[in-house]
Amino acid sequence: MQDDYSSIWGYRLKWLYTLLIVVTLMAPVFYVMYISFNENGFGARHYEFTFDWYVVIFSDLLLLESFANTLVLAAITVVTVVPMGLIAAKHYKITRYPVAVVSLMLSPLFVPADILGSALLVFFKNLNKAFTALGETLGVSWFDTWFDLGYFSAIVGLIIYTLPYVFVVILITMARYKEQQTEAARSCGATAWQAFWHIEFPQIRAGIFSACSFTVILTFNEYTRTSLLKGGYDTFTGVLVSQMLNEGMSEQSYAMSSMVSYIAIGVIGSIILLTLVRAEQLERVARAKAEPVGA
Amino acid sequence: MSQKTNIAVEVKGLAKNYGAVRALNAIDLQIGAGEYFVLLGPSGGGKTTLLRLIGGFIRPTAGEIYLHGNEVSDLPPNGRPTSMVFQSFALFPHMNVATNVGYGLRLQSMPKAEISERVDAMLEMVGLTGYGMRMPHELSGGQQQRVQLARSLVLEVKILLLDEPLAALDAKLRKDMCIELKRIQEKVGITFVHVTHNQEEAMTVADDLAIISAGDLVEVGKARDLYENPVRRFTADFIGENNIFDGQITDTDDTTTTVDLGYARISVNNHGQKASVGEKAAVSVRSELLQLVDADTATSDGLQIMPGEHRETVYLGLTTSELVRLPDGNEIMVRRLSGGTDARKIDAGEAVQVGWRTEDGRLHLS
Repeated sequence: MQDDYSSIWGYRLKWLYTLLIVVTLMAPVFYVMYISFNENGFGARHYEFTFDWYVVIFSDLLLLESFANTLVLAAITVVTVVPMGLIAAKHYKITRYPVAVVSLMLSPLFVPADILGSALLVFFKNLNKAFTALGETLGVSWFDTWFDLGYFSAIVGLIIYTLPYVFVVILITMARYKEQQTEAARSCGATAWQAFWHIEFPQIRAGIFSACSFTVILTFNEYTRTSLLKGGYDTFTGVLVSQMLNEGMSEQSYAMSSMVSYIAIGVIGSIILLTLVRAEQLERVARAKAEPVGA
Repeated sequence: MSQKTNIAVEVKGLAKNYGAVRALNAIDLQIGAGEYFVLLGPSGGGKTTLLRLIGGFIRPTAGEIYLHGNEVSDLPPNGRPTSMVFQSFALFPHMNVATNVGYGLRLQSMPKAEISERVDAMLEMVGLTGYGMRMPHELSGGQQQRVQLARSLVLEVKILLLDEPLAALDAKLRKDMCIELKRIQEKVGITFVHVTHNQEEAMTVADDLAIISAGDLVEVGKARDLYENPVRRFTADFIGENNIFDGQITDTDDTTTTVDLGYARISVNNHGQKASVGEKAAVSVRSELLQLVDADTATSDGLQIMPGEHRETVYLGLTTSELVRLPDGNEIMVRRLSGGTDARKIDAGEAVQVGWRTEDGRLHLS
């Protein structure tokens, strides 16, 4: 088979193709950013540059509250689902039945969002009825609102949704980690927790951080399950969808969406840049070592 | 519970199963304090399983483990007076050499100044003075193994476990490291338990050897004894370049046993082993103790002779091997030092006689 790099045009065409894919994926995001600076808003014939809509964000209480609600959901989901995914990934590495573990962990991905959301809705409603009936039997009202639709039911839905992704991201990172290092730490006198915290975690924390970031992004992205399980239109995506369906997205919504994108791209971009710089540094050190020592 | 305090490691009835697979059958073994003890055997035989059981990395299916008289079967690795050096380099890649070596001391909440002092002393012992600030990926294979060794020895444990520590090194480096390991063990005086499948490595470092194969403890003894006078057929086959003749016992008394090979009858000193007529047995002779004798040499009480056909001469530098085919089709090896003045060129296919002194043969009833 011919080596493509023997043809410079083949090499260039590959890069062009890659660039086209990236542009296609990112074009909607860049367009939203572009509109967010337009004083006349989306669809206007004339474009006048302004930062005003970014200022208006902070007086739009509905938008701010929905953003805060989603951030709270994201934070609680992160602190719950990332340890769960980590434990599942560690179990996968030692189990004699890895296929079963992977199948179970990825199974929520094969259920459409609306089906899963509806199933959880029915589940929580029935659970609520059962516990209310139990309370009535016991003559207490403690259990009456335990499983009402709200934050708790929404978080359960988000955990089920994000756990497969977290599991896969952490598993990929852990693939490079050698279990012998944990054993070496144990043989130096470390407890299981110390071995994890001192030795394993520093080497997989990039994956942990990626899993956290991914969970936040997925939470902001999620609409169907959260709407069904929380009710109302007080999540960030819920407000945007509601605006789009009714009166069109407000200009400050475009500004808010753009801000979220700046943060996400900035964080991920910085990580990539730091990784490339570090790799270049290590390569320079390795090259220097490989050079013969002068007489 | 074992009352012997000069025994560093004692296992009783120790077994390990993985489902239906028996990795280790019930083993009884004692390792003396201050010894360099080697677990030798073919890959997959159970030696690493035994080592990891002693270290606490896996739980036994049955049996007990005593370390310096204390039962430790239920204790995790960090609760045992052991430390381990691994085959693949288990250095912590995000820590420099000094931090790697001092890791266990930091877990003991030792003052930093004392940690630094002990780390420096240990690096000097393993010949890595000045390497404290280097990262693991900047070290050679041999250097990484020295750091692992330093990291374990600095803890002043009573028993050091080594799981094929030299397997990933090239042959020359392996030889140098063998001698280095032996020197360090003699200097620190603690018990080393070393797993390997390389018999040259084992013979270089071992005070005592245990041969482990297919989950069984085949034989235990001094390295020299196992090489010169193995009791079990497997040991003779595994250690050294031995020629093994399988046959049936036709005559035996208190000192001598005669074995019929089909094409020849050979006598061997049985060293008091209780042999029975009709029992299957094997006789082994080290290849360096065989010699090609003249055609008119006959079997006598002092010399055992058998006919053969010369196949090939193989020059290996220090030694030369003559391959001889026996009447039953098996091939044996006659080894000698190269360059002897009495060596003559032998053609392939030429009829020869192979002989050895009767006392050089070893009888194996199992």
